[in-house]
Amino acid sequence: MNNTPADRSSEPLLQVQDLQVTFKTDLADVRAVRGVSFDVYPGETVGIVGESGSGKSVTNLALMGLVPKPPGRIDGGQVWYDGQNLLELDDRSMQSIRGHKIAMIFQDPMTALNPLMTVGQQLTEMTRLHLGLSKSAANDQAADMLELVGISNAKKRLRDYPHQFSGGMRQRVMIAMALSCQPDLLIADEPTTALDVTIQAQILELLRELQEKRGTSIIMITHDLGVVAEICDRVLVMYAGQVVEKAEVKELFANPQHPYTKGLLRSLPRFDQVTDSLYAIPGQPPDLGNLPAGCAFRDRCDVSVEQCSQEAPELYSLHDGRLVSCFVAKEEASNA
Amino acid sequence: MPEAQTSDNQPLLQVDDLKVHFPFSRGSFLNPERGFIRAVDGLSFDIAEGETLALVGESGCGKSTTARAIINLVKPTSGTVRLNGDDITGLDDKSMMQHRRVVQMVFQDPIASLNPRMTVGDIIGEPLKIHGLAKGKDRKLEVLRLMDLVGLNPRFLNRYPHEFSGGQRQRIGIARALAVNPKLILCDEPVSALDVSIQAQIVNLLRDLQQQLGLSYLFIAHDLSVVRQIANRVGVMYLGRLVELGDSESVYENPTHPYTEALLSAVPVPDPELAASRDRIRLRGEVPSPDKQYPGCSFADRCPLVEDQCRSERPEHKSIADEHTIACWVRQ
Repeated sequence: MNNTPADRSSEPLLQVQDLQVTFKTDLADVRAVRGVSFDVYPGETVGIVGESGSGKSVTNLALMGLVPKPPGRIDGGQVWYDGQNLLELDDRSMQSIRGHKIAMIFQDPMTALNPLMTVGQQLTEMTRLHLGLSKSAANDQAADMLELVGISNAKKRLRDYPHQFSGGMRQRVMIAMALSCQPDLLIADEPTTALDVTIQAQILELLRELQEKRGTSIIMITHDLGVVAEICDRVLVMYAGQVVEKAEVKELFANPQHPYTKGLLRSLPRFDQVTDSLYAIPGQPPDLGNLPAGCAFRDRCDVSVEQCSQEAPELYSLHDGRLVSCFVAKEEASNA
Repeated sequence: MPEAQTSDNQPLLQVDDLKVHFPFSRGSFLNPERGFIRAVDGLSFDIAEGETLALVGESGCGKSTTARAIINLVKPTSGTVRLNGDDITGLDDKSMMQHRRVVQMVFQDPIASLNPRMTVGDIIGEPLKIHGLAKGKDRKLEVLRLMDLVGLNPRFLNRYPHEFSGGQRQRIGIARALAVNPKLILCDEPVSALDVSIQAQIVNLLRDLQQQLGLSYLFIAHDLSVVRQIANRVGVMYLGRLVELGDSESVYENPTHPYTEALLSAVPVPDPELAASRDRIRLRGEVPSPDKQYPGCSFADRCPLVEDQCRSERPEHKSIADEHTIACWVRQ
């Protein structure tokens, strides 16, 4: 849980509006992101949860300008940061923001780090480029960063190559690299998925501490609702390229509104409880290249009504400021 | 959770002091440093008919190597493995054949473990062919029965693995394992590559099959929440050894080895209130490389309770409750 209350009275740091991303394949146009909107305020952690193919990673690649084009294509939307629409920036201006103001850490640190460069070279590359530090100043700063993320003997370890670090240590190096330019926003894409639970706990604690010290905003992309409960302030639940529910973390877990969120929470096994038969959401997510009319979750939903197959629900605002994209949940909330 | 049938006779699988050491040499060509990676370092447990034993632990603790050594996909260095009382330790492929009808394996990655150029019908029918169990029309009927049993639509008989989703592919792997009508299935991280909603489907399937067919499972997983839902007994591994072994209820409700405690307290719970309030034990550092030999307890370097004796003498398993043992000097 986050100890620093995020300041949501001020202007949002980042505003994503109606983002649409499509990938062109031989068979069909795959609509990976279909109108996603959200805000990130200074100092808060926003979780984006969803299963494989829900569009959570593509959303974030798009706002970093990292969607490969072709086959990818941004079909619409805006990403506002610091008065500019990031989607309209040219490569050069984007480069001055990416890694500097907005940094990203990836799931697999072994493929995200360059195996032929020492950790020190990779750490100083960014600060020399973005902050214009001299070689020795950059080296000092890199050693400080490694210490900050809990790597002992930092000066010496700068000369090591990525393969000389363990999985958890590599992820720390990635975090050090991402934070070395003091970004306003850190996008963490499944940063602990490849790690063991005890190491995952260490990394989550590290992120929490760093956020407290520096007030960095975090977008945490994960499929693990346990991780969301541990670290996020607000949560977006994504399904088939859309946000289906948006809520404060406590409210989401205490009182989920969308049938998909409910199903997801019910299907979670818990180590502190034995369940006779685990609830399983029937069926599979739809094919994004060939989406049916109406609500994308309809075929797997146990409360769907006729309207669900005719039109797609919008993201409706419920009484307590929560957003849910479901006709049935909206109806229930207005009757309550 | 299905109750394990306790029979008076011997357990289905008995593993006694199993060791698997992989030799390595590194460093310079002229002055190499030689040693052994002690992947599995003296493991003993047994599995009764109809029972599920789960092995849990972090990457590199030797849980997968244990499963591979049991069915001789890697040769054990020492120790014995008995299946129905027969010593099958280190048998060659030919002598192992008859035992493979009793013990089968389901793998983590259903993409890598299914031949992309074979149809589902051929994949599931292959064990029937190899073991000479059914031919021609009978084989096809048997494959259709197996597909139905694991919840695959028999219409998909002639499709290829890439046409299926992850969960369905795992069902194909399970059907293939069931083809020879085995008694014991070694499940190596069978659900860890799957999304949560699909994971629940496969866990339920494994539980249903166990009840219908009286199967035993050795269930290998790092996800302690999944293990809780399926295991009768749990063994916690650290650096190739069991540090705690016991009845699932007893281990989860009353974890006693300091490593088990730390492991359970690190599992994220999907409950923000509880996540904020519960106590945790944070382990410093990471699992060391298994190339080092420890005269004492292998967890001593990271243990918050470590005492002098822990570093010099290896703790033996001692009973702390009914069906619950730990290897720890401090907590025994």
